[in-house]
Amino acid sequence: MHGPSSGSRRSRSHRMGMGSFGSKPRNRKKVDNELTTKEEIPEILEKRAHELLDNGEEIKVVVSTDLQFDGTYGKDWLLATDKRLIAFNQNGALGHDIQEVSLTTVEAIEVLEMYGNNILKVITSENAVELARYSKRLTPKFNLTVAELEELSSSNGSVLAERRGRRGPGPGGRRGGRGGPPGLKRGGDKSRCEKCGEPIPSWSGVCVNCVQKSKLIFRLFKYALPFLYIIIPAFLMMLVIRFIDVYPGKLSRELVDNILVPAGNVFAAASADGQPIPEQLPETSWGHLEGLSNTLSSWFGSMPLSGSFGHFLTIILIMVGLSVFNMGLSSVRGYMMAWVGQNITRRLQNQTYEHLNTLSIDFFHDRDTGNLMSRITHDVSRLRDFIANGLQDIVGDSLTLIFMCALMFAASWKLALWVLIPIPCLIFFTIVFGKKMSKVYQVLWKRYANISTILASVIPGVRVVKAFARERYEINRFSELTYQVFSGELNAAKLGSLYRPIMQFITYSASIIIWLVGGWQILQGELTLGILFEFQYYMVRFFGPVRTLCEMNERFIRAGTSAERVFEILDTPPTVSDRDDAQAIDNIKGDIEFREVFFTYDNEKNAINGVSFQVEAGEMIGLVGHSGAGKSTLVNLITRFYDPLQGTIVIDGHDTKDIRVKSLRQQIGVVLQDPFLFDGTIAENIGYSKPGASRFEIIAAAKAANAHDFIVKFPDGYDTMVGERGARVSGGERQRISIARAILKNPRILILDEATSSIDTETESKIQEALERLVRGRTVFAIAHRLSTLKYASRLVVLKEGEVDEIGTHEELIDQDGTYANLCQKQTELSKIRAW
Amino acid sequence: MHEAIKVTDELEFLDADSMSISRNAFAELVVEFSDGTTYTRIEPVRSFPISDTMRYITLFDSDGNEIGVVEDVNKLSSNSRDVLIEELKKKYFMPKITKINSLYGQFGVTTWQVETSQGDVEFGVRTRYDIVTLANGRVLIKDADGNRYEIENYKKLDTKSYNLLQTQL
Ligand SMILES: Nc1ncnc2c1ncn2[C@@H]1O[C@H](COP(=O)(O)OP(=O)(O)O)[C@@H](O)[C@H]1O
Ligand SMILES: [Mg+2]
Repeated sequence: MHGPSSGSRRSRSHRMGMGSFGSKPRNRKKVDNELTTKEEIPEILEKRAHELLDNGEEIKVVVSTDLQFDGTYGKDWLLATDKRLIAFNQNGALGHDIQEVSLTTVEAIEVLEMYGNNILKVITSENAVELARYSKRLTPKFNLTVAELEELSSSNGSVLAERRGRRGPGPGGRRGGRGGPPGLKRGGDKSRCEKCGEPIPSWSGVCVNCVQKSKLIFRLFKYALPFLYIIIPAFLMMLVIRFIDVYPGKLSRELVDNILVPAGNVFAAASADGQPIPEQLPETSWGHLEGLSNTLSSWFGSMPLSGSFGHFLTIILIMVGLSVFNMGLSSVRGYMMAWVGQNITRRLQNQTYEHLNTLSIDFFHDRDTGNLMSRITHDVSRLRDFIANGLQDIVGDSLTLIFMCALMFAASWKLALWVLIPIPCLIFFTIVFGKKMSKVYQVLWKRYANISTILASVIPGVRVVKAFARERYEINRFSELTYQVFSGELNAAKLGSLYRPIMQFITYSASIIIWLVGGWQILQGELTLGILFEFQYYMVRFFGPVRTLCEMNERFIRAGTSAERVFEILDTPPTVSDRDDAQAIDNIKGDIEFREVFFTYDNEKNAINGVSFQVEAGEMIGLVGHSGAGKSTLVNLITRFYDPLQGTIVIDGHDTKDIRVKSLRQQIGVVLQDPFLFDGTIAENIGYSKPGASRFEIIAAAKAANAHDFIVKFPDGYDTMVGERGARVSGGERQRISIARAILKNPRILILDEATSSIDTETESKIQEALERLVRGRTVFAIAHRLSTLKYASRLVVLKEGEVDEIGTHEELIDQDGTYANLCQKQTELSKIRAW
Repeated sequence: MHEAIKVTDELEFLDADSMSISRNAFAELVVEFSDGTTYTRIEPVRSFPISDTMRYITLFDSDGNEIGVVEDVNKLSSNSRDVLIEELKKKYFMPKITKINSLYGQFGVTTWQVETSQGDVEFGVRTRYDIVTLANGRVLIKDADGNRYEIENYKKLDTKSYNLLQTQL
């Protein structure tokens, strides 16, 4: 079919492949990832294709691959008309392979999913042809292609049409049991961004490139809206504070020009003339404070502090007064904004957590706990900071700069121009360093995260570490990570210790310029000393705001990513959610029917593959099968932890999807395979299934689960704290507590998933006696490896690789002499050995 | 179809009217039922030693097998009740702390000098996890030797004790 490519062809195609990947990677990915089966067809191909086609034959499908058959990267093409499939290999250039398959002969179209790449294969009545080879990135596109090709060929009366009818509707049934139709792909596969096709960093969970900042920022405003009545006054206060902060510049100029310099001149003149120092300094002009002086004079009859000294002290008092006032205002405003910020944090946290609780199990499978935790804690507080402070800082800092510039230009526009010279330098360095810094910190952040990850996984696993004497190994692993943090921190320190002196130097150079140019102008008689002082005052305050404004972009990006991470949770719809018309069912009987149920976790392999059987209310069904056969999955479908991919589960004649999840789960008691206890008392854990359960009920349930005995033998009885995840009670005890929890609420349907696997045979038989009565009148699914556990089961269902292998009573299955009989025999032999 | 049995239908308590608890000459606890069954050297155990001390008392015989559960001590005849309460009080010793005089810590161990309902005492607490705060302000403390103490409501302690305790919660 595909002869080995010649050497020259290989190198050529390789170069072309590299070229198209190397030059504009992003564009290319975008094109490839677009989910279309009608790509633009290269001219040369079109020409060649038309040589093959009949008149009026129309090209329906054009898709390109990203791999060639010899395994080099490059584009091959697959075309389909309503009559034939055409595959161009080696870019379809003249003289290279063309494969042509007539649609009428097609019997099946298969996707061979292999390691790192897939092959699209067409099986005809005579042979099989491999038409396209592509990397996993194009899986969605080719799934769609396959669907369309099937459509084309079956509407063309090919053999495929009949076949399709015969093979069940299993997802991927016609593709060798692999892969699901693209439309049915289950959520959670987030290795690449759906929008831009770039890989998503695993720590982030959202595409960093696609964060639409402006939109998100707008959405963030919504959270500030309820607090506008605080935010607006706080904003006005900030304007006042900023203004007052700048104002003393003008005062210092007044002080120098109107009082200090004239007074100095008087003394200088006096001592030069050899005259006695005058008693009284001359009256001074009050400058722009004239109005204030007039008001004060009219209040007190005359100025309380007159003369130069009076003027001098008044200005100092004003300075003190203003800064005290500013201090007060700042602290009030600080508290107001903190209050707003904390309120926003709390709302956002509660909202996120509440939503998290409605999400289905899938969501949690795909994301690790640490990541979710950091979204609710870390990201939310970053948003808080941005909403409460970030925006006001931008406005405030810009205003400060504008105020100062205006005052400087008013005082001396020449000097102002000179002073602004170092600013571009400052902006340049801030931005360059900012970029470098954020890179260093991102790396560092991940390294710190690695440390937490290792601690979080090793500390709970300390038993395993000790049991295998791997302490040294773990210590070394940890030490490796601390070394990485160490070197990361040193990198940051290197940058930091370069950055700060440079900034200081730039600031200082501005001040030198003032001395130089300002001093020059004074010497020329063009400038007063006061203005020079005023400029110096502004310079000290000028560079902070410039720097924060330069860092603003960084802050926007970070807030945007945080927002996206938080909103991703808020925007995820619960996979298993109630339909609008879902009903509540109060008292079900417990008839359950599986109708052609399919389910897959990963779109690779069906964990449940077409299961159908019926259970009558009150029956106890024993589920048997090797581990991995799909037993747990099957019972999880009843509780709707997951919804079937296809097929339905019917309870009392209702499709489970039409029943409200909450009311369904109220009727079901579950003991999960790996029972989870919360950190609390035993009583709280048993009572968890039924809010407000009395102590009497709790004891009754514990007795039924044969747990009362061991519980009261703890010094604290039912008040014993079980510890994190129930770590302080043994596995068997944990199982019995969770059995008690499941039966406490008198569920109609009881699911026991290897509920007694960690319990010794004797205790188990005691539990069985207790359960034997309780089980009556309920529909029970019991999964057990120890077949004796299932001796009360009315029927047994044997699962094998997601399918029902055998079904019937114990006797029937023994007579059948199949899988179950085999299992039984093995266990009897085992127990004989044990009995010795 | 059977009507399902509720879990609560399954639990039967000992009949308070047909039993009597007494102490024999060896100061051992004896329970006697009206049908004549008698158990000597029985051991009463609280199901809820912290949250419900006078109800759901499980009686074990001298071999550690369960005899049954007394639903409520106060439903027993007055003699039985007195004997049982006396025994429980002996078995469960948990003085109530009324005042904290001083707290000082060294190497992670905190030494408490307190006044309790049973007199003054000094004890050491090894970790913060041995101090548990429940709802309504109740605090349970386990000392280094496994002795128990409780504070009924820490919010009602005098200011000095309260402030000292705050450093530990
Ligand atoms: N959360 C999951 N994600 C992916 N695959 C899973 C998950 N849980 C189970 N599986 C797979 O599904 C199959 C059935 O598993 P399960 O129902 O737990 O088997 P059983 O309970 O019979 O031992 C197994 O092959 C298992 O690896
Ligand atoms: Mg399982």
